[in-house]
Amino acid sequence: MRTTSRIRWWGTAGIAVAVISVAACGSSSKTSSSNSNKGKTLKLGAVFSLTGAGGVYGPQQQQAVKLAEETTNASGGVDGANLSIQVVDDASNQTQAAQQTQTLIQQNQVTALLGPTLSNSAVAAHPIADNLKTPMLAVSTTGLNIVGTCPYPCTYIFRDSLGEATAIPTNIKTYVASANPKPKTGVLLYPNDDKFSVDGATAVKQTVTDPAVGIQLLDTIQFSKSDADLTQFVNQGVSKHPDVIFITSLGGIPAKIMTAARQQGFTGQFLGGNGFNSAAVSKQAANFGKGAQSASAWYLGNDFASNAEFVKAFKAKYGTDPDQFAAQAYTGVLILVDAAKRAKLTYTDLPGDRQKLRTAMESTNIQTPLGPFQFTSTHDVHQTIWVIAMDGQGGFTLVTSVKPS
Amino acid sequence: MRNTIQQLLNGIFIGSIYALFGLGYTLVFGLLDVLNLAHSEVFMLGAVVTYSLVALHHVPFLLAVPLGIVAGGLLGLVIEFVALRPLRRRGAPPIAALISTIGLALILVALIEQAKRGSALAWLWRDGANDVQFPAGKVPDRIWHLAGLTLPVDKLAIVVITVALMAVLAYVMAKTPAGRAVRAVAENPRAAQLLGVNVDRVITITLVVSSALAALAGILFALALNDISPYIGRDQVELRGLAVIVLGGMGSIPGTFIGGFTLGLLESVTILTLGTDVRAVGFVALFVMLILRPSGLLGRQTSERV
Repeated sequence: MRTTSRIRWWGTAGIAVAVISVAACGSSSKTSSSNSNKGKTLKLGAVFSLTGAGGVYGPQQQQAVKLAEETTNASGGVDGANLSIQVVDDASNQTQAAQQTQTLIQQNQVTALLGPTLSNSAVAAHPIADNLKTPMLAVSTTGLNIVGTCPYPCTYIFRDSLGEATAIPTNIKTYVASANPKPKTGVLLYPNDDKFSVDGATAVKQTVTDPAVGIQLLDTIQFSKSDADLTQFVNQGVSKHPDVIFITSLGGIPAKIMTAARQQGFTGQFLGGNGFNSAAVSKQAANFGKGAQSASAWYLGNDFASNAEFVKAFKAKYGTDPDQFAAQAYTGVLILVDAAKRAKLTYTDLPGDRQKLRTAMESTNIQTPLGPFQFTSTHDVHQTIWVIAMDGQGGFTLVTSVKPS
Repeated sequence: MRNTIQQLLNGIFIGSIYALFGLGYTLVFGLLDVLNLAHSEVFMLGAVVTYSLVALHHVPFLLAVPLGIVAGGLLGLVIEFVALRPLRRRGAPPIAALISTIGLALILVALIEQAKRGSALAWLWRDGANDVQFPAGKVPDRIWHLAGLTLPVDKLAIVVITVALMAVLAYVMAKTPAGRAVRAVAENPRAAQLLGVNVDRVITITLVVSSALAALAGILFALALNDISPYIGRDQVELRGLAVIVLGGMGSIPGTFIGGFTLGLLESVTILTLGTDVRAVGFVALFVMLILRPSGLLGRQTSERV
């Protein structure tokens, strides 16, 4: 009995010593590594659409990465190294996005990049980064084939923006599960000259045929994003008397459709994708958009620490609430900084550092404004999905959250 | 049937905006043989100035509209003195004037899309590239419902305003000394000058009127379609405005009027009969028109003099 007790005592003491030693080691290595890169600079690039059609989103992304840069440097940088993020404007143009990406990698010698803002631009910029073996993290491109099944290897491409292929089915299924009576018919409206919108429309068409959803599409109405008056198209949709109107589009288009549909007497439900998740869209739709539901990567009202602190810092710096684009861009910097810390970069061997960073990014597991964040094996998003609805006053309410499968 | 009538009404509503926008285009082209491609940016700025007055400076809408039109007219002066007159003085070809107006247009769009909170132009615009709309309750937004049809009062007003302005312009051009002076300059500037017409003044006044019309079209567009952004001119009406004046006949005011409504109705009828998958039928019609009658519906047939 005494022997057993002695063994237990020594065992406990041994474990305690081991824990303290590991903790001390960890702590000392952390202390030493937190200053080990003093005098060095981690150079990152960001290709955003600050002007042109994507200029609705790019400026918030720029604000968010600058905030993340400031916060990181204020809290000791990247283990002592100064974080420097160069933001360039691709003017929402595919060719310029490709050129800017190449310049940042070859001329400015960045270790990794964020962007571009638009899926249209990403299809030109990402293959260049991949070919030059430089990690590029998409922070707002939600179209198909951005990561995973790309038409090129895309081993260096990651995404922290919830794809339409995930967001739209989640939203539709969540709505159908709770709706009473169940919706039976729908009409889909989307501009057919924009990759984001077309990809979203594909997701809607695939989801409604799911037996668990069972919505019959009465009409699929295509228009151009440059059409001046959408009333004519909305009129066609409303005249079919659908239970649901699906809208997959960006910018002011969802709000215009909601306004015209309600004015023409439509009383059913609006369902959409990431294009709904902007305060500007909700504000523009105002009361006509009340209840319009979408699945989102981020929700302003989430009060867990990593989001609350981000929202507070953003509001303090810029005097306005961030939006989803800002949250995802901010998260992008957090992911790269975390990976850079774990990758033990040399700051002398750029190709080697890019490779190390890519490998470290694959094992990302951090708290972000989007919630706990990891990448899937195909470098796509693995996070909680927030299903939200427009509140009719320019904001959103949380309908429910869906854990990643 | 109700849907058919509603779609035809929609075509008339949007056609009136195309016509109003095209009137300014055609006035300048008829006079100078120059396409003023900054016209779409005057259209945009008319909407932006009026929005700014109403939403940011709390000016009543009915006062903001004439101020927006005046701002458009002043921009016409800028176009004349910065982009057109210096080139005219040097005898530059029309293509040079076209390029200089494109340059001015790009500058105007860039100025507005870069205007944000805290920027030097925040007093005018603080939404960057975003779409905004007039604040609810500060602009006319009543909708009549008649026999199942949706009739927004602002869109009905646009049709009335377009028809009235077209009539006034046609009368001024045909019956007044000012109109005669414009026609004389359009026919032969040198001969007009010899007859005592101040050519520069006629051109300046025409640009001011044309730009004021563009600004008014922009304001009505923003009101009716609930959409104001730096790109409403360039993306949404510029190409159609060009189509309208070619369809109606370059330089012809009644032709532009007919061209505007024709294009608007053609778009609606296409949706009704061929569905929404068929695109750009208006431009196909334009193409056919250019082949069959290059001078447009009411344009004059001209022959090259050698």
